[in-house]
Amino acid sequence: MLIEFPLKEEHKIMIDLIKEIGETYIKPYSLEWDEKEAYDATPIKALAQADLFGLIIPKEYGGLGFGTFEMCLAVEWLSYFCAGVSTTYAASFLGAYPIILFGSKEQKERYLPSIAKGEKLCAFALTEPQAGSDAFAIKTTAKKDGDFYILNGIKQWITNGGIADIYIVIALTDPAKGARGASAFIVEKGDPGFVVGKKEKKLGLRASLTTDLIFNDCQIPKERLIAKEGMGFMVALKTLDYARCGAGAQALGIAQAALEVSLKHAKTRVQFGQPVYQFQAVSHTFAEMAMRLSSARALVYSVCHYIDSVAKDFSGASAMAKCFATDQAMWITERAIQMMGGYGYMRDYPVQKFFRDAKCLQIYEGTNEIQRNVIARELAKWIKV
Amino acid sequence: MAECIFAFGQCFEGKLHPASLEILTPLREVADRLNKRLILIGLADDKEKFLAIPELKKLLADEVWYIIHPNLKHLPDDLCERVLVYLASEHKPYGIFFPATKKGLSVAPRVAGSLQAGLCAHVNAFEVKNGNLFLLRPTYGENIIAKLTSQRLPIMATLALNAFPIREAERAPLIKEVKLPEGFDWSTKLTIKNFKPAKKSPSRLSVAKVVVAGGMGLKSKENFQMLFELAKILNAEVGGTRPAVHAGWVEAERMIGVSGVSVRPKQYLAFGISGAIQHTVGMEGSEFIVSINLDKEAPMMRMAHVGFACDAPSFLKALLQKLKAKD
Amino acid sequence: MGRILVCIKGVPKPGTVKVDKETHTLCRKSAELILNPPDRPALEVAQRLKDQANFEVIAISMGPPNMVPVLQKVYALGVDDIYLISDRAFAGSDTLATSRILAKALSLLSPFDLVVMGARSIDGETGQVPPETASLLNLPSITYVKEIRYVDGKFIAIREDDFGEEEMEFYPPAVVSIVPEIDYVRPPSLKRLLSIKEVTPKILTNAELNLDEASIGLSGSPTQVADVFEKTFVSRGEIFEGEPDELAEKLIEVLKEKGFLA
Repeated sequence: MLIEFPLKEEHKIMIDLIKEIGETYIKPYSLEWDEKEAYDATPIKALAQADLFGLIIPKEYGGLGFGTFEMCLAVEWLSYFCAGVSTTYAASFLGAYPIILFGSKEQKERYLPSIAKGEKLCAFALTEPQAGSDAFAIKTTAKKDGDFYILNGIKQWITNGGIADIYIVIALTDPAKGARGASAFIVEKGDPGFVVGKKEKKLGLRASLTTDLIFNDCQIPKERLIAKEGMGFMVALKTLDYARCGAGAQALGIAQAALEVSLKHAKTRVQFGQPVYQFQAVSHTFAEMAMRLSSARALVYSVCHYIDSVAKDFSGASAMAKCFATDQAMWITERAIQMMGGYGYMRDYPVQKFFRDAKCLQIYEGTNEIQRNVIARELAKWIKV
Repeated sequence: MAECIFAFGQCFEGKLHPASLEILTPLREVADRLNKRLILIGLADDKEKFLAIPELKKLLADEVWYIIHPNLKHLPDDLCERVLVYLASEHKPYGIFFPATKKGLSVAPRVAGSLQAGLCAHVNAFEVKNGNLFLLRPTYGENIIAKLTSQRLPIMATLALNAFPIREAERAPLIKEVKLPEGFDWSTKLTIKNFKPAKKSPSRLSVAKVVVAGGMGLKSKENFQMLFELAKILNAEVGGTRPAVHAGWVEAERMIGVSGVSVRPKQYLAFGISGAIQHTVGMEGSEFIVSINLDKEAPMMRMAHVGFACDAPSFLKALLQKLKAKD
Repeated sequence: MGRILVCIKGVPKPGTVKVDKETHTLCRKSAELILNPPDRPALEVAQRLKDQANFEVIAISMGPPNMVPVLQKVYALGVDDIYLISDRAFAGSDTLATSRILAKALSLLSPFDLVVMGARSIDGETGQVPPETASLLNLPSITYVKEIRYVDGKFIAIREDDFGEEEMEFYPPAVVSIVPEIDYVRPPSLKRLLSIKEVTPKILTNAELNLDEASIGLSGSPTQVADVFEKTFVSRGEIFEGEPDELAEKLIEVLKEKGFLA
């Protein structure tokens, strides 16, 4: 807010469009969705009709061919209106990246056009009950059987479960090889032996759907393998490298909304004869919020530009963007509640929702503890002893 | 030549729409002052049902002409146009008037187009001066009444709903069937596949004895909702201004004003309503008007019998508190 | 591929309208124009028919040159083409003159299957143009349509009537007007918004329409404004001032006095 970055005309147009979508299809309903823990397909339909699902899909497949920077701008602004909706949106990109980055020409031709039109949503399935941070501990198997693969196992807490048509599933084709024995597959809704579990009840991001995926002798054609057998974790980790900034962008949107709402309140709430903003304990807190948000934003977008400028290795950079921005969002939303006092605690007001939504961001797409591992690992490569 | 005035009698299932009766009230006066015969034109599918309409014998027209044909059952717009245009060409009326019902608003323009005549919409008053007829209607959202006239005959207009009371005549009109010539084209390009009668009866708002209404001075949807509480206590109906409807504070069916509902209650309580003409024409016939508004000079404040210069939401809160305490 | 023509109108942004003192008509040139809100559902309905049965959708508007940005935004909603009908000679047209102009323009774009319009405009509020234009084109008009679909070469529309709801069937071509309330309207398309500056409407002036000047503009309008006057209210009653609490008490007193409250 105290710093404005100059934006190209096309970015301004995109942001204005998202603001229009947010005001029309999201803002009037977000608290209600949160309260009812309901998924509403209407904003998703609007985003699809606005061409926004094609943001990062290459032009030759009907997309806009934009990069990480534009993706994060879109995700930040959507999150400003409702992080539940932006999660559905961003998670679909997470599921599309493996096809964009590693898919064969046939796979790209088959899936990307309908993803770009928003006709089909995607999901990315790596986590299992015994394999969260320890992703290598996955047990789901994919056994080659003639022209097919047979999948068996369970994926846990998958965003867009049930509403996605395309699921990227990381499964072990060669359990003996450990991490090198995993492969990435495209599973489609309706494949025999694939069912979706019940909807999870969450603390936040309640407008987004999270379910288990259950594979019981799920039979898929061998053409559904992405790249080669054994490349599963490479596909997964590279995908996460690209998508991590998106989680950072979500954090920015939530934090911005929280800052605005609580700041407005602090300027109008009169106690002891003056607006509470006049008390330094309050105004200094806002100064701190502004610094943290601005630095998080600067970091996220400089990492985006770095990624878009054809950086080869950016795991450390994107981990920093994700970890820092999401931690700041948690701090800012917690302080925003405090600055609003009782009003921050009541569910008739949105600030408590921002706080609950922000929490998940520190956990998913790799916990912030794992992000610190990644940063430390990458950092170590810089000094040779 | 131009000796008669036509009024469209909208019939359905043996009933005459009350709006067709309302428009006869001002038209009666116009017909008398201009020395013309006022004729109600009824289009229907069943002769017996039509003749059994109770209001027929007491309505203010000089004559009632009815035309019967099975295709007229649902009053298809293109066929109604053809029939009315035929009658107009034959009898060259001075004016043709319709109630501003959905049917009236759909058929009148077709007739005007065919006859190349001017058509004024939502007229709520007439003036006769020097043998000329002027049509009055509120216009363009400003506090302006436009006085319209037509360069050619027939003069045509749709008359605002609920703007005129229904009056009864001393004598019964002359009632006659008009048979159209052999070979008249009774076809219509419209086929009704299904008809679902309206479940809800015509707006209770339009006949309410007490109306509590809100405008932008109420500042929010939550504040507006308080009117519903007040309505329960006072046994009233709730209405709103056009901006309040557009803001989504209240449904469109409760809009009072031009192209909305007209009301003539005994009590009209206006909360935070400035009184733009679009609104006031819909309620100026109210017997006792109370206005609560911060602006003492607002038109509604001047129009009211009693005004309270006060912030509407605070006033409403206080009023509700006191009324509830009395129980 | 069938063709749908959507007639839209630009209306002054609320609060910016001026009335010409002499002709008592709106100064459309000076105002900032927005899409007449009831036309938005009309555009959406046309788009839904396009999605359903692959119609070509053309948006047409009669208005001054400052209508162009509005038409460009309408292009972003996904219509196939945009037209502006503009000529000084059209200014001051009442609904009959307007309907004549529209009818001529629409006939230049025939054959078409459907003309779609909003039920009314928020400035004139007559709702007359759709049926009047239909009559001049000798086409059926179906007003107050809530929903419409295309099945086996026919249109089936659900419409509101004074006594209930009608399901009506008709063959193209026809004119329909759409009720202002609709469940959902789509947002503009980003792809189109990014190229909006390069899109200009095709312009039709009276040179193309070739209408007799006596039938258009002010001279073609049988209805004329004889006079306008401001409705003034002479102060009728007493105005009380004070705190909400005491005023509310006063109102209760007054209502009791008048016998409205027990």
